[in-house]
Amino acid sequence: MSMKNISQEKKDMINLSRRSFMVGSMKTSLFMAFGAAAIPSLLSAKESIETKQFSPNIWFEMDTDGNVIVNIAKAEMGQHIGTPIARILADELECDWDKVSIVHVDTDPKWGYMVTGGSWSIFHTYKPMSQAGAAGRMVLIDAGAKLLGVPANSCKAEKGFVISGNKKISYGDIVANGNVDKTFSADELAELPIKPGKKRHLIGVNADYKALDIPPKTNGTAVYGIDVEVENMLYARPILPPTRYGSAVTNVDDSKAKSLPGYKGYKVLTDPSGTIEGWVTVLATDYPTAIKAVDMVKVSYNAGKTANVSEADIQKEGERIVRDRKEGTVFVDEGNIELAQSKAAQTIEALYTTATANHFQLEPLNAIAEFKGGKWHIHTGNQWQSLTLPTVAKAAEVPESDVILHQYYLGGGFGRRLYGDWIVPALLTAKAAGQPVKLVFMRPDDTLFDQPRSASTSLFNASFDENNQFLGMEHALAAGWPTLKMAPGFLAPGVSGEGKVDMFSASGADHWYTMSHHRARAVNNKVAQDTFTPGWLRSVGQGWIVWGLESFIDEVAMKANKDPVDFRLAMLDGKGKQGGKAPESVGGATRLANTLDILKKKTANVKLGADEGIGYSVSAGQERTMPAWLATAAHVHVNKRTGKITVKKLWVVSDAGIVIHPDGAIAQLEGSLLWGLSLALFEHNEVKNGQVSKTNLHTYLPLRMNDVPEMDIELVESEEFPVGLGEPGVIGVAPAIGNAVYQAIGVRLRHLPMLAQHVTAALKA
Amino acid sequence: MIEFTLNGKKVQTDAASDTPLVWVIRDEFGLKGTKFGCGVAMCGACTVHIDGNAIRSCSYPVSLAKGKNVNTIESLNNEHPLQSAWVEEQVPQCGYCQSGQIMQAATLLDRNPNPSDQDIVNHMSANYCRCMAYARIKKAIKRAATSSVQYFDPNASSEGENA
Repeated sequence: MSMKNISQEKKDMINLSRRSFMVGSMKTSLFMAFGAAAIPSLLSAKESIETKQFSPNIWFEMDTDGNVIVNIAKAEMGQHIGTPIARILADELECDWDKVSIVHVDTDPKWGYMVTGGSWSIFHTYKPMSQAGAAGRMVLIDAGAKLLGVPANSCKAEKGFVISGNKKISYGDIVANGNVDKTFSADELAELPIKPGKKRHLIGVNADYKALDIPPKTNGTAVYGIDVEVENMLYARPILPPTRYGSAVTNVDDSKAKSLPGYKGYKVLTDPSGTIEGWVTVLATDYPTAIKAVDMVKVSYNAGKTANVSEADIQKEGERIVRDRKEGTVFVDEGNIELAQSKAAQTIEALYTTATANHFQLEPLNAIAEFKGGKWHIHTGNQWQSLTLPTVAKAAEVPESDVILHQYYLGGGFGRRLYGDWIVPALLTAKAAGQPVKLVFMRPDDTLFDQPRSASTSLFNASFDENNQFLGMEHALAAGWPTLKMAPGFLAPGVSGEGKVDMFSASGADHWYTMSHHRARAVNNKVAQDTFTPGWLRSVGQGWIVWGLESFIDEVAMKANKDPVDFRLAMLDGKGKQGGKAPESVGGATRLANTLDILKKKTANVKLGADEGIGYSVSAGQERTMPAWLATAAHVHVNKRTGKITVKKLWVVSDAGIVIHPDGAIAQLEGSLLWGLSLALFEHNEVKNGQVSKTNLHTYLPLRMNDVPEMDIELVESEEFPVGLGEPGVIGVAPAIGNAVYQAIGVRLRHLPMLAQHVTAALKA
Repeated sequence: MIEFTLNGKKVQTDAASDTPLVWVIRDEFGLKGTKFGCGVAMCGACTVHIDGNAIRSCSYPVSLAKGKNVNTIESLNNEHPLQSAWVEEQVPQCGYCQSGQIMQAATLLDRNPNPSDQDIVNHMSANYCRCMAYARIKKAIKRAATSSVQYFDPNASSEGENA
C-alpha cells in the first residue's frame, strides 16, 4: 500500500469500513473478520477466513467457553489501546467482558496498513469495531435462536447469552453446536445500527474498568523489544558519525579493542536505503563488551556539510523565511489580509520561537535482526510498521514480503517509534556478520539519533482599526518538517493548489476562531531539515504552533482592550467554516467555546497571591479533521528576583466526544499536561556543531515528580463521535503558562522553554 | 569469579569486575524485569535492592555486589502491596520505568511506613517517568502505605478491598 492510501484508509475506517464482514465457525472456534474488500469474494465466510483473506485491523475469535480473543494491530506504548478497542466490540457483541483478552500482532503484508500515531486509534476503530460487534451479535442471536427452537426476533443477547423468555443458551454452546457461515456485504453492514453513546454500558464517561495490559507492567513480566533474545545472536552498539547526513568513514582503528575478551570486530555499514551514512557498529558476545569497545575504537570521518550548524543558524534561517512572503505555502487564506493590512490604523507584530527538544523515551532504541527461513525477522517495538517495513526491505535488498516485524511493548513511543530507522543499522550489521544481531543504543547514541522536535519560528501580525477593533491576522510559521523527510506522500497541497505543506507542521494555525481576514503560511526550514531528521514529537506541530498562536491571541486581546477569555469566546461563534462537520467535528467552534466557558466558571473564584496569575488557552488537536476540544488554564507564581516560574495548578476541560475509556483518557491527559509543562519550562536541546548538545539526563532535564502541580481534569459528557486524546493535552499548557506569567508580572515571554533568565532579562528591559 | 545472592539464590558470574550489574542480571541471569534507561544513574529504571538499599544497577559494578543480597522486581513475587496499589491506581502507561519506580518506593515504605506527600516526592524525584505518570505513582504509594500499616479501628469490618 502506498503512502497516499493512508488518508483513504482513514476515511474508510471512520465513514464505515467499505468492507464486507464475515462470521464463520471453524473447528472449535467462531471467527469474525472484515473482508479484504467491499464486495464479498466468491468464497464463503469460512473459506475466506481459512485462507486469511481478511483485514487485520479487526478480527476476533470466540471459543466454546465463550472466551473472546481480540487481535490488536495497534502498538501498545502506554495508551492501553487494546482494552478500549476490545471494549467497543464487547459492548455491541454483548459478550462477557471477563472472558475477553487481547493479542498484539506482528506484521504480515496481507494484513493491510499498520500505524499507531496521530491520536487516531479510537477515531479510526470506533465505528468498524462497533459494527463488527453488532454483526457478530446478530449472527449469534440467529444461531442461538435456531438451537433454542424459537424465532430470532424473540431473542436478546446479554453478557454472553442468547435469551428468549425463560430459555437461554451461552455463546460458548452456540459456538460448539452451531454451524455459522455468514457474510455481510459492505452495504448490509452499513445498515446495521450501532448503539448511541447513552445506550452503551461498557464504554462512556461513567464506565469504570481497568486496562488489560497493566498487571504485567507492575511485576517485570511485560516484554519490551530490549528484552528479546534469539539464539546465537551477537550484541552490537553503534558509533555515530559527526553529522546525521553526509558523513563518510575514512578509517577505523580498533587495535585497542582487540584485547577485550568477547570483542568480535566492527562493521562499516553501507546502506542501500540511504537511511544512514557513515555508520560503524561494533560487535561482541555480550553488550557490556560492546559498550566498552565503542570507546576503544577510533573512527575517522569526512564530516557532512552540516558539521558546524548551530541553533542560532536554524533560528536565523527561520526568521528570514517567515519574513519573506515568497517563501513557503499558504494553507489558510480567509478574506483579504492584504486589504485589511492596508486599511489598518494600527498593527502589532510578534515573533515566537521554540528550541529543539527531544523524545527521551525511556527504552533506548534497539532491534534484533535475524535472517531465518528465507526471511528477515525483526524484533522491536514500532508504531508505524507500514512506513518502516519498505525501508527495511530496501536496506536488506529483499522484497517487502520477506521482512516480518515482530511487535513488542514499546518503552515509550511519543512519535520516536513511528519511523523505525534504527532497524536499518541492526539489519545491516546482522547481514554483514552473517549472524543474528541485537543492536542496542546507549542513551547518548539514542539522543544523537533522535528525530527531535525541530526548533521553530512563528511570525504574527495583527491589524486593528482606529478604535482598536481587531481586523485580521497574518501568521507565518517555519520549522523542519518530519513528514517531508519520512513520509513525503503525506504532504498536502496549499490552499490555491500551489506548493506543498506538512500539515503535521501546520495544523493548529488553521484554528477555529472566526476572523474576517486570516492568512497562514507554512515554510520548511531547510537548515533544520538538512541537519537532522525532524521528528513527530507528541502533539507535533500543534505543540509549538499553538504556543505562539494562543499567546498572540492574548496580545491581540490586550491591544483590543478585551478580557482574553471573553475575546476568545466572541470569536468562537461556530459561523461559516467554523461550524464543524459530521461526524468528526459536529458543533465546531461552539463546542470549544463551551469548554472555555466551563473553565471560566471553574476558575472564577481562584485566589491569587502576589506575583501570581491565571492564563488561558484553547486548542483543537490534532487536526481540523479530528478535533479534541480543550480549554486549558494555568495558575502560576513568578519569583521576580530569581525569575523562577512555578506552576501551582493546571486545569483542562476536554470534550472529545464519547469517551471510551475514561480512566485511560484521564491518564493520557495527566501525562500530556505534564509533557506540555515540561516543554514549556524545562526541555531544550540546542543544536551545536551539527548535533543536539545534551545527550543524557544529567543535562537534559524533563519534569520530575517535585515539579508536578495540582491538576484538575474534566471530561465533558458528549454523544458525539469519539476523537483521540493521546496528544492534545500537551498543546494548551505552554500558552496558558505564558499568558499567566503576563497576568502575574506583565512580562510577555516569546521563547520556549520559558526560563528564569528570560524572566529576569525581560524585567530589566 | 564473583559470587552474590540474587533473589535469595547464590549465583556466580565470570563477568569482568567493572561490568554494570544491570547487564549481569538481565543478560546472564535472564531477569528482564530490571530495565536499562540512561546508563548514568539519572533515571532509576534499573533500580534494584542491594542489602535492602535502592541502587542504580546500571552504575554499580558487579564486583561490588560480591557477598551481597541483590533483589530485583521479580523477588517481590507480585505480592508487594505496591504492586496491587499500582494496579488499583492504574499507574503504568508504557510501564518501562515501573519496575524501578516500585523498587525505589519499596525502600521508602520499609523505612517510613506512613510517608507524607513531601516524603514521597523527596524519595521519588530522581526516578524519571517519560509518560509522566507521576501523580498516580504518588497516589499508589499512599494507597500501599495505608494498606500496609495496621491501624486499630474499632468500626472497621474485616471486609473491603484492602482487608
